[in-house]
Amino acid sequence: MSQQAIKVENINKFFGKGDAFVDVIKNASFVINKGELVALVAPSGAGKTTLLMMLGCVNEPNSGKMWLGDEKVYDDGWLTKETRKIRREKIGFIFQAHYLIPFLNIIDNLTLLPQANGVSDNVSKAKAKELLQYFDIAEKEKAMSSQLSGGQNQRVAIARALMNNPEIILADEPTAALDTERSIDVVKMLKKLALEQNVAIIMVTHDERMLEYCDKVMQIENKAVVFT
Amino acid sequence: MIYLAKEDIKHILGKFIVTAIGVGMLLGIVLIMMGVYRGMISDAEVLLKDLNVDLWVVQDDTLGPFAEASRVHEDLKYTIKAISAIDKSEAITFQNLQLPLANRKLAVLAIGYDIYGDINPINPDRLIEGRVLQTDHYEIVVSDKTGYKIDDKIKLGRNFYTVVGITHGSVASGGDPLVYMSLKDAQELQFTYTNKRIQTDKARGIINKDSHLVNAIIATIKDGYNVDEVAQEIKKWQHKSVYTREEQEIVLTRNVVEKASKQIGLFTLILIVVATIIIALIIYTMTLEKMKEISIMKLIGLPNSIIIKMIVEETLVLGLLAFVFGNIFAHLIYDKFPKNVLLNIPDAWLLFGIVVIASILASLIGVKKVINADPTAAIGG
Repeated sequence: MSQQAIKVENINKFFGKGDAFVDVIKNASFVINKGELVALVAPSGAGKTTLLMMLGCVNEPNSGKMWLGDEKVYDDGWLTKETRKIRREKIGFIFQAHYLIPFLNIIDNLTLLPQANGVSDNVSKAKAKELLQYFDIAEKEKAMSSQLSGGQNQRVAIARALMNNPEIILADEPTAALDTERSIDVVKMLKKLALEQNVAIIMVTHDERMLEYCDKVMQIENKAVVFT
Repeated sequence: MIYLAKEDIKHILGKFIVTAIGVGMLLGIVLIMMGVYRGMISDAEVLLKDLNVDLWVVQDDTLGPFAEASRVHEDLKYTIKAISAIDKSEAITFQNLQLPLANRKLAVLAIGYDIYGDINPINPDRLIEGRVLQTDHYEIVVSDKTGYKIDDKIKLGRNFYTVVGITHGSVASGGDPLVYMSLKDAQELQFTYTNKRIQTDKARGIINKDSHLVNAIIATIKDGYNVDEVAQEIKKWQHKSVYTREEQEIVLTRNVVEKASKQIGLFTLILIVVATIIIALIIYTMTLEKMKEISIMKLIGLPNSIIIKMIVEETLVLGLLAFVFGNIFAHLIYDKFPKNVLLNIPDAWLLFGIVVIASILASLIGVKKVINADPTAAIGG
């Protein structure tokens, strides 16, 4: 088993044609290994979300190659019709807000995805309890998200992203709604998670103060992906 | 596996139940409409069943007193009785009356019959108080729906009639309560003019003394005879229209209540369509309220089938809950209607099937919304 979490080669993405043609990402090639926390930084409109959606197998690139772990998932076209299955099994998502399902309690929010993957109720609950313990919110497993504080909800959301043992976690500005102190706490937690859970995390952020906690900083400059 | 529909319904239980009650009231009205139709058919057959006769002899080229005016001579009953196949034969009158109540009038159908005859139209099972008619004059048996009590006096025409019996459930095909009086009283009410009219007619040279008319002759036949053959014989020799009991039922259901039942059927259909549209709109709104969650579920990789299952199950639960509330509502109010409303189990099952199909159809609009939901909508706040 290699340590490669995601590898992309010459990925391109454009929209429209003729006068409406917009080139967003050109010939992006990079490798991110498990255990790394990578910040994705770029001005608004530079293509952060587009890149994130391609890495998350939500939006299809126009050309290139992509691997998740050791499995090739894209080669000038998706290699499987079920990209949603890839997301379900190999990718974790963290959003700006916690976006927990409001009508499910905390443990059900966590077990929903593995159960959709066919994992048994007992196994998924055991995993969820383990993660809640890890995030120090085990006593909240029966609570609804509306009964939790913002910080607690964000920890549950991070726990949810880990439930399917993903190769990679894509975090879309997870600290945007938090103050500086809490933001640093969350980024430190992500850094710790990347190492302890052996998962790669790509985190979109606008906050330069968070960059010092990241292993790499990925930027989009003139449609090209560069690392600093 | 987590039941998303169950958890979502639990989360919005109050709102969900209030919505189901609202839709349920609409379905209750659908059940009532079906009950009105059944009541009409049932009412139409009450008199036929109570009389329990084989033949109706009526004015030539008419459908008989249930459908149009029919007059035959009273003594025709003797002619009919003389036929070897006939067991019993009696004259009978039907007349629409306005029964005076305290501050209004009530439409009733008065049946006149020979109280000494062989055929009594008062079903003993329906007589809940008092007795049948025993004298030829000024006695009346009324339905409990009229509100009259035993020994009450009712003024009809020139005379006062004493209530001697009360019946329950005796109604005409139109739903009007039945009252019973002697043939002589009925003939006087129907065929005898007022003194002033008699004076006027006399001055004009019109002399009309014939009050021995009735609306139909009813008869039963002896065992071993074929009803249709006897009817054909009477038609042939007496120049009258003759209907068997089955034909009278057809006259009542096809000619008398057909239009009304079609109208009710159309109303029922429209109400079902409206209920389906309302359920669809409710589910659409409920789906719209969950679009963010649906986008997230799609983004993190939940298959459409799980999300669609949630929408369809919620719609079905809403429909079924509404069906239960509809039944409760219908059973609470059905006896408040002025006409007979007959709620029966096969109709309820029919509505149940319709509700299931309507709910599935109604969920399609929410399902379409789920299929088209953009998972990237979860990104970027």
